[in-house]
Amino acid sequence: MKVISNLKLLLKITQEYGNAHFTLSFSAIFSLLFLLYSFNFSTQSIRPIVLVFFIIYLLTTLYVWFISKSIKKDLANEREIQNRTRILGYPLILTVLAGNVFASSYGISLVSKNKTPEYTFAAYALLTQLFIIGISGFNLFKPYVIDTYLLAIGTFIVLAVIFALMLVLVAKYVTATSAPKWMLPVGIIILIPVLSGNLFSLLLGVGLIKKARQKDASSIEKWQKMWSKILRNSMAVFGMFFIIFMFSLSVVSPWTFDYDFATQNNYSAILQTPTLEYPLGTDDFGRDLFSRIVFGAQISLIVGFFSTIIPAVIGGSLGAISGYYGKKTDNIIMRLLDILYAIPGILLAIAIIAAFGANTVNLIIALSVGSIPTYARTMRATVMQISNYEFVESARALGASDSSIIFRHIVPNSLAPMIVKATLTIGGAVISTSSLSFLGLGVEPHIPEWGNILKIGSTYLETHSYLAIFPGLCIMLLVLSFNFFGDGLRDAFDPKTN
Amino acid sequence: MNRSVNIPTTQTSAMLDRTYQRLTNRGKIYGVLLFILGLPIHIITILLYYFRKSQNQYGDVYNKYEQEFVANGQLDIWRQLFLEQEQTKASFFNESLTADQLNKNVDLLVQGKLQKEVEKRVEAAGLEKDTYHHYFKRLLKSRNFLIISAIPGILMYALLLLYSNPFVQFIFERVLQTLFVILGVATLVFTILYISPLDPARNILGIEATPEQIENFNRLYGLDQPYLAQLWHSLSGLFTFDLGTSFAGKEDIIASIANKFPVTLNIAILSLLMAIIIAIPVGIISAIRPNSFMDYTFMIVALIGLSIPSFWQGLIFILTFSLELNWFPATYNPQNWLSLVLPVVVLGTSLCASIARMTRSSMLEVINEDYIITAKAKGLNERKVISKHAIRNAMIPIITVIGLLFGGMLGGASVTEKVFNISGIGSYIVDKQFIPDIPAILGGVVYIAITISIVNLIIDITYAFFDPRIRSKMKKEG
Repeated sequence: MKVISNLKLLLKITQEYGNAHFTLSFSAIFSLLFLLYSFNFSTQSIRPIVLVFFIIYLLTTLYVWFISKSIKKDLANEREIQNRTRILGYPLILTVLAGNVFASSYGISLVSKNKTPEYTFAAYALLTQLFIIGISGFNLFKPYVIDTYLLAIGTFIVLAVIFALMLVLVAKYVTATSAPKWMLPVGIIILIPVLSGNLFSLLLGVGLIKKARQKDASSIEKWQKMWSKILRNSMAVFGMFFIIFMFSLSVVSPWTFDYDFATQNNYSAILQTPTLEYPLGTDDFGRDLFSRIVFGAQISLIVGFFSTIIPAVIGGSLGAISGYYGKKTDNIIMRLLDILYAIPGILLAIAIIAAFGANTVNLIIALSVGSIPTYARTMRATVMQISNYEFVESARALGASDSSIIFRHIVPNSLAPMIVKATLTIGGAVISTSSLSFLGLGVEPHIPEWGNILKIGSTYLETHSYLAIFPGLCIMLLVLSFNFFGDGLRDAFDPKTN
Repeated sequence: MNRSVNIPTTQTSAMLDRTYQRLTNRGKIYGVLLFILGLPIHIITILLYYFRKSQNQYGDVYNKYEQEFVANGQLDIWRQLFLEQEQTKASFFNESLTADQLNKNVDLLVQGKLQKEVEKRVEAAGLEKDTYHHYFKRLLKSRNFLIISAIPGILMYALLLLYSNPFVQFIFERVLQTLFVILGVATLVFTILYISPLDPARNILGIEATPEQIENFNRLYGLDQPYLAQLWHSLSGLFTFDLGTSFAGKEDIIASIANKFPVTLNIAILSLLMAIIIAIPVGIISAIRPNSFMDYTFMIVALIGLSIPSFWQGLIFILTFSLELNWFPATYNPQNWLSLVLPVVVLGTSLCASIARMTRSSMLEVINEDYIITAKAKGLNERKVISKHAIRNAMIPIITVIGLLFGGMLGGASVTEKVFNISGIGSYIVDKQFIPDIPAILGGVVYIAITISIVNLIIDITYAFFDPRIRSKMKKEG
């Protein structure tokens, strides 16, 4: 009896076992989707490429099921995962070629016993790079590619090799508390790929530098603890992966994608169904939907980012002032913000855009104004709590001025809820952006933005539904990723769950 | 209310006195407000006060005690003590003070101490400081004064009565706050539209319009008047339900809003009902079995529901349920209730997802409380613990959130209305914004904001009656 209850506990705390089920269900869902899509109901025919994908995903699912069984057996017999089970992870890594990021990341995490945050960062940096190469690779089927294309792809391949190398090195030499001295220059060099928007390499570099310098043991421990908490949540990691992938893609797209395909009319290829040359088809002006969606990510991320950071700064300062001074200041600021809070965000945005005209800058302002009160409320609540702590009292006793107490002691300690709130509201901002563009009140119609693309798609809903389906899927995936990541951050930062 | 003032008993006068004391303690604003409202009484009582001032003994007693302290030599003892204190302080902070400065500080401290001690003594002797404030308070206690002053001071007494009961006070303050917010919203939205660089006259009359035509247009709609005049005109229009005619089409704005508002409200309320019926059981089931397969599935579905852009969801629904399956009509038609199904589901999705997530977290918080463990320990079965103890307490934050989300939903309705071609208030605002038709947008936005404010007001007030925690907090603060 005791053995069984122990085994249950062991299964529960073994991350590999839980993640196996997670990977299993996602691969199963995707294979089901591929199966459904492989049969064309309207023409009663089979789509062979999709069927191949279905078979690959089905095999992956069965393989992961087999792995989960052998992990269970290992844990029951030997109390830990054996090396021969870990080796089973290597073939899984190859599923990245079929785009199965769930299985391949699971494979990477299975093969190494030593799972530091840096190992995960290196793995996801590699996956991000491979996905970018894959997405950019579709351009090879176009009649021509942009001049910088070959150079860019070459760089990406070099980067991918470097990340793969880093993966091996980190698995071998980096531990939870330290890294060898020679990792310091490596860590600095690995900061350079950040220029391609691959933020995983930034995290990897920072982690390596921290651990190689061995300056501050407590900060290393904090880093290790925080990230292992966030990375334990698989959904949060995939959310983070997709966000960084989208970000990196929109940073590098000017060098791999031709903007002309997204904006120039091509009347010889109007409303084409998806082919290799136009992976997602073309719209009513013959513009390539795939390129339009890739460039649309840029504008969505920019608007989402700015319409989150602006109200976070303004609302955050107002909330900090009002929470710190209390009484009359608090009353005046919060009552004024109540007025803003009473108007629904979208309506306020519509009113502002009605007054100042529809363009990207006005859109950012309009979305920002509406979300100032929520940030102010979040900040105020945290600051009120923190102002009562002893370290604030002691700063005051040492003669620090109010502004230095607020901005040097209180604000840095109340950032966690703000970061969580911001991550969760970027998604909302992305939805609002595309909604307003869809109504014709957002980004200018000539710019490829997801809402604008959908607006055209909605007119061809009956005949060319893919024009409406794909951009919507992208919006949903991006927002979903922000929400999953935000939830993960909240769980990691929230003292209640600790 | 008036009757209780006109027939004062000792109880009412004690209550009035208590409330008066509390209000004046709360801040200067309340004191000033009371003074202004009771101005007719104050004019007379101030005269009476100065007439009687010569007869008071407070000053004499004060002087007597002060002399006593000085004679006792108490001052020197204090001086010695404070001097020591100041010197230690200076040496600790490494400050070099001159003897002059030191003496000055010590003198100030001694004077302060003396005043405090004397006041304490005088109070112990049973004499109140004889300011006008105290005098007026004494008067309030007397029954005859109340009877005489009931009519001229009716405004002040009304305020005192409002503040005498914490519930009434809470409702009164909450209503005032709502009024302030509504006025603020109207002013804000008007100001935004006023400083707009766009020119409605040009947009309607076309580029070829002569300056005279434009001037004529502006005069017709009062757009040439100064800001304050236009603001006053708009505000009074909003609250008297007379916004005039729209710039384009010359239709009566209030009539169109009154036509379209019920459509939006109807759909919004149906969505709300759908969301509550689905989300609350889902949230409760998730919370009872946290981290189970069911919990994960529900929460992932909820997060997807939260992440789906409503217009896209609408398009996909039209594609599948109208075009492919032919179950529901694609556009709204008031005569056909089937056409309501899709918009209601689309509008309710994100609300449903939020409520489910909120219910789950609120339930999880409650389930770990001590009283739930007590209920389980005393042998109640789980169903009873959940239904009787957990849900009732978990509902409180959920209802607040529902109130707030309802507002967001009314705002978001404009997108859904556009997708399903519903002529509700949201699509009305969107249609009018291209001109921009200032009174129409103002009316649409402000009336929606008013609806939301009133819904939240009602929820807050209902709480004050149902939640014992809020009730006891109010009593303590009052």
